[in-house]
Formats: sequence, structure tokens, C-alpha cells
Amino acid sequence: MIEKTVDIAVIGGGPAGLASAISAKESGAKEVIVFDRNSWSGGILPQCIHDGFGVEETGLLMTGPEYAEKYIKMAKKIGVKLLNETLIISFNKKREIKALNKKGIYKIKAKAIVLAMGCREKTRWNVMIPGDRPSGIYTAGVAQALINLYNILPGRNVLILGSGDVGLIMARRLKLEGANILGVVEILPYPSGLPRNVVQCLDDYEIPLFLKHTVTSIVGKGRLKQVTISQVNDNLVPISGTEKKIECDTLLLSVGLNPENELSKVAGIKIDNRTNGPIVNQDFETTISGIFACGNCLQVYDNVDLLSMDAKKAGKSAAKFIFSHKNRKKIQLKKKQTILHIIPRNGISYVIPQRISKFGDIQLTFRVKKPRGLSNLCVSSNDKTIFEKELLCSNPANINKVNISISKVTSIKQLEVKLNDR
Amino acid sequence: MIVEKRITCIICPIGCEILVKIEDGKCSSMEGIKCKKGEEYVINEVLNPKRMLTTSVLVENGIWPLLSVKSSEPIPKEKLFDALKEIKNTTIKAPVNSGQIIIKNVAETGICIIATKSVKDSTKNNGKTILV
Amino acid sequence: MFNFHVAIIGGGVIGSAIARELSKYKINVIVFEMGSDVASGASKANSGVVHSGINSAEFSLKARFCVEGNKMFQHLADELNLPLKWIGKLVIAKNDEEINKLERLKNVGLKNGVTGLKLVRGTELKKQEPHISCVSGLWVPTAGITLPYQFTIILAENSIENDIKFLLETKVKGLKKINDHFQIETNKGNFQSDIVINAAGLNCREIVSMIEEPDFNVYPCRGEYLVIDKNYSSLINSMIYPIPVEEHGFLGIHITPTIEGNLLLGPSAEYINNLNDKKTTKEKMNIIFSEAKEIIPFLSKKAIINAYAGIRCKLSPPESNKQADYIVEESKKTPGFINLVGIESPGLTAAPAIAIEVSNIVSKSIELKQKNKFKYKCNKRIRFSEMPTKEQSALIKKDNRWGRIVCRCENVTEAEVIKALSNPLEAQTLSSVKYRCRAGMGRCQGGFCTQHIVRIMEKNFNLDIKNMKLKSPDSKLFYGRVRGKKGD
Repeated sequence: MIEKTVDIAVIGGGPAGLASAISAKESGAKEVIVFDRNSWSGGILPQCIHDGFGVEETGLLMTGPEYAEKYIKMAKKIGVKLLNETLIISFNKKREIKALNKKGIYKIKAKAIVLAMGCREKTRWNVMIPGDRPSGIYTAGVAQALINLYNILPGRNVLILGSGDVGLIMARRLKLEGANILGVVEILPYPSGLPRNVVQCLDDYEIPLFLKHTVTSIVGKGRLKQVTISQVNDNLVPISGTEKKIECDTLLLSVGLNPENELSKVAGIKIDNRTNGPIVNQDFETTISGIFACGNCLQVYDNVDLLSMDAKKAGKSAAKFIFSHKNRKKIQLKKKQTILHIIPRNGISYVIPQRISKFGDIQLTFRVKKPRGLSNLCVSSNDKTIFEKELLCSNPANINKVNISISKVTSIKQLEVKLNDR
Repeated sequence: MIVEKRITCIICPIGCEILVKIEDGKCSSMEGIKCKKGEEYVINEVLNPKRMLTTSVLVENGIWPLLSVKSSEPIPKEKLFDALKEIKNTTIKAPVNSGQIIIKNVAETGICIIATKSVKDSTKNNGKTILV
Repeated sequence: MFNFHVAIIGGGVIGSAIARELSKYKINVIVFEMGSDVASGASKANSGVVHSGINSAEFSLKARFCVEGNKMFQHLADELNLPLKWIGKLVIAKNDEEINKLERLKNVGLKNGVTGLKLVRGTELKKQEPHISCVSGLWVPTAGITLPYQFTIILAENSIENDIKFLLETKVKGLKKINDHFQIETNKGNFQSDIVINAAGLNCREIVSMIEEPDFNVYPCRGEYLVIDKNYSSLINSMIYPIPVEEHGFLGIHITPTIEGNLLLGPSAEYINNLNDKKTTKEKMNIIFSEAKEIIPFLSKKAIINAYAGIRCKLSPPESNKQADYIVEESKKTPGFINLVGIESPGLTAAPAIAIEVSNIVSKSIELKQKNKFKYKCNKRIRFSEMPTKEQSALIKKDNRWGRIVCRCENVTEAEVIKALSNPLEAQTLSSVKYRCRAGMGRCQGGFCTQHIVRIMEKNFNLDIKNMKLKSPDSKLFYGRVRGKKGD
């Protein structure tokens, strides 16, 4: 066994892991190692060959690989160690990590851990599509990796389920490679992806968008042959009699992402079942002291710019933790931490952070449940409004961000975040 | 002759629906415009639509089989498939550096196709292709 | 070589068990399997249960072979290094009216020779199974679980080690008896053998009709299953069954822990028209889930990671109230033609006993001389994830491909994937990998590992991507290259 002690162990070398590691180093942490199971760094970015990354940060529209290379260069320059083809098997409350690669098994003691495991795609069975189980059914991310990384064409006549950005991008990608895109099927009455992608991936190529539809059956003994789609009612239940059979050889599933937290659960980190990510405070610290979370394993971000910004904060917090922890041992502070819980209410799916342990300026990120026009965001405590902001329009597909200021008021037990119509 | 076109503006998440009337190669009217940026976008989109092209080029002796590339600027829409055809017939030898020009003046547009990724030479890596 | 003593049609658990049994003797045996791997039919799509014999009708072949097979299983598992756990079964009564039925079931079991049966209730029951909802239960300790696909694979691969020939993707198209030999026409050529064993599963009737008029009908009956995430495995300790409805001959929707730590919910039972219709249906998936949730209230739909279906080869029609028995015999019309027909549950358990019976039938026409060197022992499959850390380190030091994890959900290493692809059957589909080393069976269902396994197939085994398959001969995965090389 290879034993090591590090200041900060970052689990996951995608954009979140890289950004948090760089920030931790900038904040004074000495030994920062980023672990990634792939032989490359950058996580999902190298296969995202389309542009749209980093506009807010750099003003330039970068492609995924360019964004990844930029961060990898920065990481190497500042002295972050990138350990690839290394899988984290487990970690515990004491921040002891078991890892594995071709050199052997590692037992690592970290002064702080940053979780950046990203997310995984929902499968056919997460949405329970009945029918045969032929070849030719791929989640959009796997199809993207096959095409962009491995030079493999998964199919010719393609139907895509899910109009989120990944599905839309893949529609265009496959079209440009000569595939016949039969349509994009979306269960909601509106597309889930950005309007830019609907225009540039579907409208440009006259790819039909079947809104309020879903896939209700799959037919194919060896390879996929045919898919049945049906219209759904307001409760998302298929309406019988509206079935439409579509002949195709490939079905791409873009039906949602699940934050990857199997390691977190085993370690005992409390998970918010609204986000499927760890419960964190304003410093991105989870319910286990010294373990921080950022990136898609915390919440599924819709653009990498906000993800990187938040990840940098998490990295900084991890570095600060190490220093304060060192000092805490000397001073032996018995600080009683007051935890303020933040509860999403009317119209809000979730809010991050879920708890506040320090007063001052706090950034809240949240998602709304349904698309809305003009509405009022209200943060209150005991029915007393602390913060209000007008939202011109909001969409479940976009993360919203507000900055609020919480002063030290002992009578506050919890904060409620809700949307009111205007 | 007046041609009518419906455009969804994509500058901001609101996504205003604009009804444009085109007369003699100019936008004679635009219904639904709410901002200057939107107006600029719609005019360009209607009269001279362009798109960024991001795709792949085959690599020889690289640790990756494909090189991701992009157009150095948006390409006129009607030239996209010509550009793609040229790219599909191109092979580049590793090593390649991100930012390197792969094709100059693709499909006579004056626009370049540049590498967005660095790909090392696999023969210098003990012939090891990345077993990713 | 095209002449054999025995030709077995079908590489399912029955065909493979017979092959392994016959491989002990100095005879030439060939197995024709039309799928791209063994266990392509019902043999992979069942609950994996080693039954006690409690559910089979008295004096039936089902009961006889089940109880005999059950007794043979542990020894076989030790020889073959087959995973096997005697976790026992609890048949539960949901209410007081059902308690009488439990008593009756106990008596049937006693008559069939099942041992250790015990009625449990109250605190004892609660201690045994704290998370299930019921009033009383019949504890059946002699029921076990195994991996049906691995059982079949191990039997087949051990047979090959003992010189049995297996031909995959080989379909029998014609069968003729000329003098004392059978002429077998397949898509891979023509063969001759003295004896033909029909272990073709659902296609058994088609094979019979190639040579004589069948005196039975097959009524395919589909069973759907749901697979539950390992995170829920601690909800039960043994198999949980409702009281079987005798008239239907079905065991009902039950909950089976798997050796790997998942839970199986099901199967349903639905008579269908088409022998090949293995689709899962929304209706049955919902019924299976809700019935299972009645037994285990803590179950959640989020826990479902996969669904599949298998088809039972029933010999009695749906309206019949008497269940047909197995047919395990030499045809009276065509000597040398041995039929295994209607082998539904408890087929997996019965397989070793059926193999011995068939071997006895064969010995009546062909002298069976024992081989001097029979390789009866199989090496244990190394599962990296189950080894202690010290041994894991040693493995990596020996061969660093043990240090690269390809399937993150199940912690399967590159070395195990390569071993799976190097199998003696030469089965090289994604499913072949999955069933041998578990890569792709986790909660992400191949979301991470598929690309890596494909890469290994391409680079380590030189497989052409256009020929790569998911599971069956025509389940191709890919259509070619995105960018062709010059001359492609």
C-alpha cells in the first residue's frame, strides 16, 4: 500500500475539480492532488467539442476541449498534481481515502477533501421505457463519447428522447455526420434546452420537435427497428390513441442527469433529496467537517462558468479550513455553530446552500419548478421578508443566482425562499 | 417582393419571437423587437446567417483517433456543408497543438479551421494509443 | 470433424449441464447454440433460485429432478467454484386466512422429501425479516440462490476444457435420420451424429417437427422482472414468496436477493402468442412493483436499475387447471432422439439431475467409458472487488491491468474484462463480458464502462467495430467510423 498525506484531495478532475484545486493552491494550500479515473483530465469536457464554454469568464466562446486545456495548463503551472487513471474506492469521515491505480493501492490522509465527481446520465430504466431490449439505445453522453473521442458512429436513423442541451447538441452533431435525425421528443410542453440550441440544432436542420410526447415502446429483436411515441396529457401520462410509430435504428436518451454521490453516501454525507447532491453551507462544506462539494455532484449546472466560479469558492474554503483547523488545535475554540436552514417553498425546486453557518453576504443559487414570466423572489423568516427581487422570467432549465445579506439576528430559525406572482 | 420570416431571438433567455419582413435584401420591418442587441441579431440572422462549425478531423499516429476542430469565426450557413466535406477529406498528422491551423480558407470562405485540442504523437509515446 | 456420438441442440443450462456430464466419457460431443453465447434464452432470464422441491406436484418429474438436483448443487458448486448461497426462502401469509395454505404447503413439501420446514410468526419472524409486511411465514431452509448465467457459462466452459465442441451462432435448419445416424443441417455446415439431444428450449417443438410429428404444444408464458439497486439489498435476508396459486402453477411475484447483492422483483406470468416476444410492458412493471412494495414497504421506484423478461416453455394451455410435467425421454418414434421439453421452473435446479438421467439414456445405446483425465475442477473467478487489500496490491504488482477500473459501479478491473473476452467459447459480445465479470451490471448500466470495454475489444482483441454486438447475432452496436481512413 502506498501511504500519503496531502493537504487537499480533490475527487474528480473535470472543470469543478480543476477550478477548486487551482483556487485552493492560490489560497495557500501546499499539496493539492486531483484524482480522476480517466487517463485524461477535464472530465466530460474533451468530448464536448461544441462551443459555448467560458463566455462569462473570458468573453470568448470556447469549446469544451479548449476550456479543459486552459484549466489543465493553469493547474500544472500552479503546482496542482493531477493523478489520472486513478479511482477513489472510498473515503470516510476522518478524510482517509482508499484509491487505486496501476501503481497499486493508495491510503491517503487528507486535511480536506473537495468532492467533484460530476454526474451520471439517467438510463432507460430510470424512466421505465417498456419494450424490447435491442442494441442501438444509447444515452446521449455515451453516443457523444463514441463519436467525438473514439471515431465510432453509433447509428444512422436516429430519434432523440429529451430536448435538453445534450440531446440538442447531439442532434446537430449526428446530422453533420450524415445521420438522419427523425426528431427530438420532449415530454414537457416546452423545450428543456437553451433557445440558442433549439434554433442552431433543430430549426437549422428542420429536425422536428415533438413537444408533449414521450417514447412508449421500443421494438427490435437484434438492433433497434422502431420506436412508438405518444402524446401526453398535463399529468405527463400517455394518451392512448395518439401513438405514432417511427422507424429508426438508434434511440438517444437525454432524459436527465443524476449527481454522482455513491462515495458521499457511503461516507455518511447527508444528501438533499431535492438536488440529489450533498447538503452544504455557504462555504460549500458538506455535513462532514473538512469535506467540501462542488460542480455537478452538488447540483447539475447548466453552464460551466457558474460551475467554475462556485468551484473556486469551494477550493478556497477548503484551503481556509486547513489553516483554521491547524490554528483551532492551538487555540481550542469551543465555537457553537448556529445553523440556519434554508427551505425552498412556493415555486422553488431547490436552493443551495441548504444551510448557513456564518452571517454576511451569501450567494443563493436556485431553480424554479415551472417556466414563469414576471415574478417576485422572496426570502423570508417567520413571515418577515428579508430580501426581495424581481425576476423578469425564469425557467427550470436555468440556475438563478441572487446575493443576499444576512445579519446576525438570533431570532431567525430558518429562511424560506419562494416565488410570488407579480 | 416581400418575404416574411419568423425568427426566435437567442440573445437572452427570454427568446422573443420576431416577425421580419424582407424587401429588396433589407429588413423593412421587425415586429416584436425589444432591444438593440436583439435587433442586430435578427438582421444578421435574416440577411446573412452564419454559424460556428465544430467538428472532428482524422488524426494519423495520434494518441487520440480524432482531433476536435472549430472554425475560426462563424461560417455563412450556406457554406457549412461544403466546409464539412473538405474537413471530412482531411487527415492531420500528430503531434497537433490546440490553436494550430488545420485548413486555411475552408470552402473559399477565407475562414480557417483550427485545432481545439492537442494530440500527442503516439509513436513517440511507445506507440501507445490512449486506452482511455 | 463432422461425425459425433452425440449432438446437443441448445446451449442453455440444460444443454450445457448435459454436455458437462457427457464430457466425463470418451465420446465425441458437439453442442449447437444459435445465440452469440450460451444461456441466451430462459437460462439467463430467471430468478436464479435453487428450489427445494416444495412447489412441485407430488410424484412429478419436476419434483424428482428438483429434489435430486438440489442435493447435487452444493457439490457441483464446490467443483465448479460456482457462487451459491443457501439463504433460504420464506413463504408468507399476508393475512390470517392464508395461514391454512401455509400448512398445506408444508405438507406437500414433506411429501416431496423437503427437509427443515418450519412455520414462523411473531417476534421470531420479525427478528428474521424486520422490513417485510406479513402475519406468518413458512421457512424453507433448503432453497438457495446462484447466478444462472454464470452456472451455464461455467458448465459450458468446463465442457470445452474436457474436449466438448461448442458452436455458437449455429442454427439447426434440418434434421434427418438415415439408417442409424442423424444428419444435421446447420448454417455452419452439415454434421452427423448417432444421438441427438433436443435441449432447444422454446424452440424444442420446431426441432421435433423436423423429424417427427410432435405430440405436444408449447404455450409461451412471459415473465417480467425488475432489478433493484444494491443499496436496497439489506431490506431482506432470504427470498420472500407469496403463497403460490396452485391452479395457475405460478409461484407469484416474489422477491429474490441475488448473489451479487441486488434484489429481483418478479416474475409476472403472461401467456403470449409469439415465442420470441421478450418485451417488458408498462402494465406488468407497475404490477410487479406495487405487489413487491406491499411486501417491502420501503421499496422506491428510484431503486429500479433494470428490467428484463424471460419466456417459460409451458406445455399446458392457460385454461387448463392441471400443470404439465417435464418431458425427459428418448422419443418412442425415433430412437436416438432424446427430448428435453417444457423445462420451466424448477429447471435450473433440475439441470444436474436431468443431465444424469440423459447420460443414463445415452448409455443404453453407446458405451460410456470414463475418461482417464477429466478436469472436473474449475478455477475460482477472481473478483478484484471482493479481495482483501493486501491481495489486491499483490495482483496489481503482478499485472498492472488489475489497477485500472473499467466498471466503476461494480469495481471491475481491466484484467477481468480482458479475461472475460478471452473465454474458451470465444463469445465476445458486450453481454458476454457482462455475464462473466459483471461490467455493465451496475446502476449506471454501462454509462461509463461501455466505451472502455469497446476500446479494449478494439485494441486488445482487434475486433472490427462493425462486427461488435450487444448480445445476439444481429444486435450490432455500431455502423462504422465517423472519419474513415483513406481507402475505407
